[in-house]
Amino acid sequence: MTELDLPAGLIRTLSLSMVITSVVAVEVRRLRLAAGAYAVQALLLVGLLLSYAQVNPALYWWAATAFLTKAVLTPWFLFRYIGRTQELEVPPLIGFVPSVVLASLLMILFFRLTHGQVELLAPSPHAQEEVFRTNLAVASTVFVLGIYGILSRRDAVKTVIGLCLLENGVHLSLVSLAPELSETALFGIASEVVVTVFLLLYVIEGVYRVFGTTDTFRLRELQW
Amino acid sequence: MTANLDAAPSSLPAAAFLLPVAAGIAVLAFGRLGHRFCKGVALATAGVLAGMGILMVRRTLQGEILAAWGNELRVDALSALMVLVIGSIGFLTTLYSFRYLEKGELGKRMGVVKAERRLAFFYFLLLWFLGTMAWAAVTNNIIMLWVAVEATTLTSGLLVAFFWDRRALEAGYKYLMLLTIGITFALFGCVVVYASAAANAGLGGHEALLISEVQGVAGAIPPRTALLAVALLVIGFGTKAGLAPFHPWLPDAHAEAPTPVSVLLSGVMIKVALYALARTVSIFFPEIPQLTVFAVALGSFTMVLGVVLAMVQDDLKRLLAYSSVSQMGYVLAGVGLGTYLGYYGGFFHLLNHAIFKALLFMSVGAVVYATGVRKVSELGGLAGRMPITGICFLVGALAIAGFPPFNGFMSKLTVYLALAGSGLWWAVVIAVFTSILTMVALIRPAFRVFWAAPPPDAEHLVHVREVPMVVWAPMAVLALACLVLGVAPHMAYGLLNRAAQVLAAAGG
Repeated sequence: MTELDLPAGLIRTLSLSMVITSVVAVEVRRLRLAAGAYAVQALLLVGLLLSYAQVNPALYWWAATAFLTKAVLTPWFLFRYIGRTQELEVPPLIGFVPSVVLASLLMILFFRLTHGQVELLAPSPHAQEEVFRTNLAVASTVFVLGIYGILSRRDAVKTVIGLCLLENGVHLSLVSLAPELSETALFGIASEVVVTVFLLLYVIEGVYRVFGTTDTFRLRELQW
Repeated sequence: MTANLDAAPSSLPAAAFLLPVAAGIAVLAFGRLGHRFCKGVALATAGVLAGMGILMVRRTLQGEILAAWGNELRVDALSALMVLVIGSIGFLTTLYSFRYLEKGELGKRMGVVKAERRLAFFYFLLLWFLGTMAWAAVTNNIIMLWVAVEATTLTSGLLVAFFWDRRALEAGYKYLMLLTIGITFALFGCVVVYASAAANAGLGGHEALLISEVQGVAGAIPPRTALLAVALLVIGFGTKAGLAPFHPWLPDAHAEAPTPVSVLLSGVMIKVALYALARTVSIFFPEIPQLTVFAVALGSFTMVLGVVLAMVQDDLKRLLAYSSVSQMGYVLAGVGLGTYLGYYGGFFHLLNHAIFKALLFMSVGAVVYATGVRKVSELGGLAGRMPITGICFLVGALAIAGFPPFNGFMSKLTVYLALAGSGLWWAVVIAVFTSILTMVALIRPAFRVFWAAPPPDAEHLVHVREVPMVVWAPMAVLALACLVLGVAPHMAYGLLNRAAQVLAAAGG
């Protein structure tokens, strides 16, 4: 496989910033700020796609659609929804400080784990080299933080943001695992979940109207 | 590379999903022409889809593989079986939905005026639901398979929440949320398969997306990476297929959706997800044979948990939903074995479960239509007033419990034999035990609802009448199918044989 000439330093910075934005998106209690953090993360991902696109022009397409769906449409849906419902998140299961500690622990642990065991994810020696290695570690960390957000938050909107983090993690790993194939762009564009986010928020708005809250723990009509 | 020698170009695979999608748009655009128009288009489209399924079956039985768009779409016997199930159950469900939505649950829960207004939207979603499922069945591209499965979630999500009241919204939210989270794992799995097929097996980007190509080179993917991919795919598609422990969305969604949608969810959609799972995971069976034991164990766990939870239900629709979880365990146990007989039994049970679970949901829907209630404890003695529904429910219950001479007996027997043939006697014991519990879980409510004395203060049961013919006719067809496939199981042999060969040949 040919060596790719990539701006490694830039990519590493962008990708490590994605971890920070994930933590912010999960932890911040003001929903607008959390949605904003998500939007920043989306821009970082677009930046990453653009820097990869220097060696694989097909990725420009994905960068363009990702900008539209992840950085414009999804935050717009989130902001519009938050405007119609409530500004502050329903208190999560875990308090702020323990949650930050837990998230940071998860982050460090998982980052180190995937950075060390990268050959599990990346079968080719090429993808195990630096930049890709860091990116894959970041991808799985973002993914895990997304899961953590989904499991520990009661607010439906926070769960949606967690879902978006999962998606970003997967997309980052996709572009790091196969950056040189033009089909990667197709793969990424096709697997965009912006429609899902829209529908979910639509249903959650219905839930808010009928139940008067977006606390998922109050959805207890159906048990067993 | 796998053999594409016998692939014949055909426009059938593309038509199978483009037609319902186009018809759905037409229904939405011209919905103001009235509900007759919407229903007519929906029924005709579902009928044509069933016809296309039959055509595909006939052509694949002659040994052909239908391909289109540069092998992007590919219909072998297994895909043909799925399209046949989607089309025929879709057709019967559409017919069943006509009166049901007008006078039944929909009118009662939403108000007749609102229900009329939303009818076009209902049939639009229904057609797209059928179309996306057909797409999942005919595509050969791993990412399009993922997109199609996710698209079935989106189209059915609004159908689950269709009543837009407390229960429906809760079910709809859980449904969309849990399935999307689950399916994101599958996406990760697809990414790993694609990337490692390109990096390790030296496939080009396009080939690495095609399942039929990846199949031939799966051995080149390192086992640990393959295992990771399988785990992600099982969580992802398994959530959608209702496998325990990823099933909690299923009873909520299947019970709260309008009954015609429940029929499609339980009868067809979870099978499409299992189909996606089988297609992708079976690639790795020859390389990691231990997977089969794991799959059978997961299947056995699913069977037992599903049936135990079904036994404690009072709500008939939730009971059926949990029993679907349990029955998916049988399908998984069969398919997961990775042997020819296992695939045969698994697909046979998949077909049979589509038939009798559709029948059971329709029968319960008929009870709800006639009485307005769906709790076993509030019902009783309906057999005299609703004899056809009573017989249909009983046939379904006997079939699902594996009584001869109905179809469930035959497919369960095949699964037992396949498990025994692979030496997994513990799984046979669990499967037989589950079958006995299924009998208790289903026959007891059947008896309570139709033959036992009604509860004392049952005023809602006084003016009960049999449902109209357009509601019971699809049920009668399905009940007959249960009997025919039970008495003459060789009728399905040709198709199931080829469908099993598709995966058995690829998986060794």
